[in-house]
Amino acid sequence: MRVIQHPILHFQRGREIKFTFNGRELTGYEGETIAAALHASGVRALGHSPRLNRPRGFFCATGNCSSCLMKVNGIANVRVCITPLQEGAVVEVQKGKGDILATD
Amino acid sequence: MNELVDAVIIGGGIHGCAIACSLAQKSRQKILLLEKKYLAAGATGRCAAGIRQQFGTEINIRLATASIKKFEQLQDELDYHRNVGLLQHGYLMLAYSQSELKQYQENALLQKQIDANNQTSLLGVDEISEMVPQLNLKGVVGASYNPKDGHVDPFLATDAYATAARRRGVEIRTDTEVTDILLQGERVCGVVTHKGEIIHTPVVVNAAGAFGSILGKKVGIDLPLYPERHQLLVSEPLEMFLGPTIISFFHGACFKQTPQGSLILGVGDPQHEIKALNERSSWQFLGDVARKLTYHMPLLENISVIRQWAGLYDMTPDAQGIVGETGIEGFYLDLGWSGHGFQLAPAIGQIMAEIICGEKPFIDVRVLSLERFARGELIPEPYCV
Ligand SMILES: Cc1cc2nc3c(=O)[nH]c(=O)nc-3n(C[C@H](O)[C@H](O)[C@H](O)COP(=O)(O)OP(=O)(O)OC[C@H]3O[C@@H](n4cnc5c(N)ncnc54)[C@H](O)[C@@H]3O)c2cc1C
Repeated sequence: MRVIQHPILHFQRGREIKFTFNGRELTGYEGETIAAALHASGVRALGHSPRLNRPRGFFCATGNCSSCLMKVNGIANVRVCITPLQEGAVVEVQKGKGDILATD
Repeated sequence: MNELVDAVIIGGGIHGCAIACSLAQKSRQKILLLEKKYLAAGATGRCAAGIRQQFGTEINIRLATASIKKFEQLQDELDYHRNVGLLQHGYLMLAYSQSELKQYQENALLQKQIDANNQTSLLGVDEISEMVPQLNLKGVVGASYNPKDGHVDPFLATDAYATAARRRGVEIRTDTEVTDILLQGERVCGVVTHKGEIIHTPVVVNAAGAFGSILGKKVGIDLPLYPERHQLLVSEPLEMFLGPTIISFFHGACFKQTPQGSLILGVGDPQHEIKALNERSSWQFLGDVARKLTYHMPLLENISVIRQWAGLYDMTPDAQGIVGETGIEGFYLDLGWSGHGFQLAPAIGQIMAEIICGEKPFIDVRVLSLERFARGELIPEPYCV
């Protein structure tokens, strides 16, 4: 399944582009959200609950619920459900609450 | 309905709850705490939850030092089911001029005189940068630091006192506003609630924070108290990275990381803040705090804000609390804490109970009496945000 209409963002699906998820190369469309591209590629666990470390998936899709906080290009706590995908993006599952001091 | 109790405490903030708890420990009398909304609905639940010994007046140093010791023991002392969120990560107070640094030096000396175990020390710029490498040190000439200062969760601490108070027999009624205080000559004899109930009592404690002056008027006392709005903001949680709470009195800025990992940020702007019973936060604050925070720590420019809110300082002319008896027999005050009262509640709760029971309080608080204003004996505390 692919999100083609977003509840709060208007986007034009552009060309097919490559990005990585946990080091694995995936493809998505320019302009769609990172979460849409991950979902379409079968990725279901985006984050983890802070206390019990249970997997958390695509939920509110509007940047509110904090279920999809991920590390994108080294920046922690990115809400991938409202962040547009860009060519070559490095998307990673985030460990813990987001490490502001990480430099990679 | 008419009822009779031995003492009524007005206000379910940390002060009211701490007094109730101490008083119930001393006597088996019937104690009633009345709160117009819910516990910690006032300044307590809206505060920055900072605790520190680094004050500049003797009375505040004594009260703060005793209170921090009590906070350290609170869970055991009150037999509470969990830690009250105590985090002693230290307070780093930045100095931007030699005169500010000199004042910190004098404060540190005073703190050592009062408490031989006090650990406040002055740091040079290199030491500051080692402690918090991400801090912008432009213009900083030094700092005052105490590793035992820190943070306590205001909701948990208030709940700990309230729970222990109930266990000791105190009745706490929320959603109950005191609308009048009854006098018999020059002494109190009861209170009236918004439901029209009359509760007879020989003792009334006004711990209503910024709303306390309204209650003062009910017994003909004009309290030198005015509300001043202050605002805070909390960020998303981050992995722990920031050591101490950072304060710049020069910028009126303060920020820290709570045990949950969120940053709490505040900026004080006493000149422009609204002086009314207004607990609504403003969008201007968001911009102001963001500018100040990213100035002090540019690294944080991408963090997300969770929410912001406002609360009221109960200001007095010298920014110090008002404690103890009044000209009206049985009418006691514990308010006017001017933005630093959360951290002093453990000591003041005990002191108020001692005063009400006619005992000598374990710290002499006569300098905080209401009469000081008439006598002109103000004791300004220079170190408030
Ligand atoms: C933004 C902000 C940041 C702060 N930061 C700090 C800090 O870092 N460290 C620190 O030590 N202090 C801080 N303070 C100050 C601290 O919050 C207060 O000094 C302290 O919480 C006062 O507690 P209290 O119990 O006296 O008053 P409050 O918590 O205000 O409680 C008074 C209660 O009385 C109730 N009430 C009022 N009128 C009536 C009535 N007629 N009948 C029944 N109930 C009534 C109110 O609803 C309220 O719950 C801060 C304050 C603010 C606003």
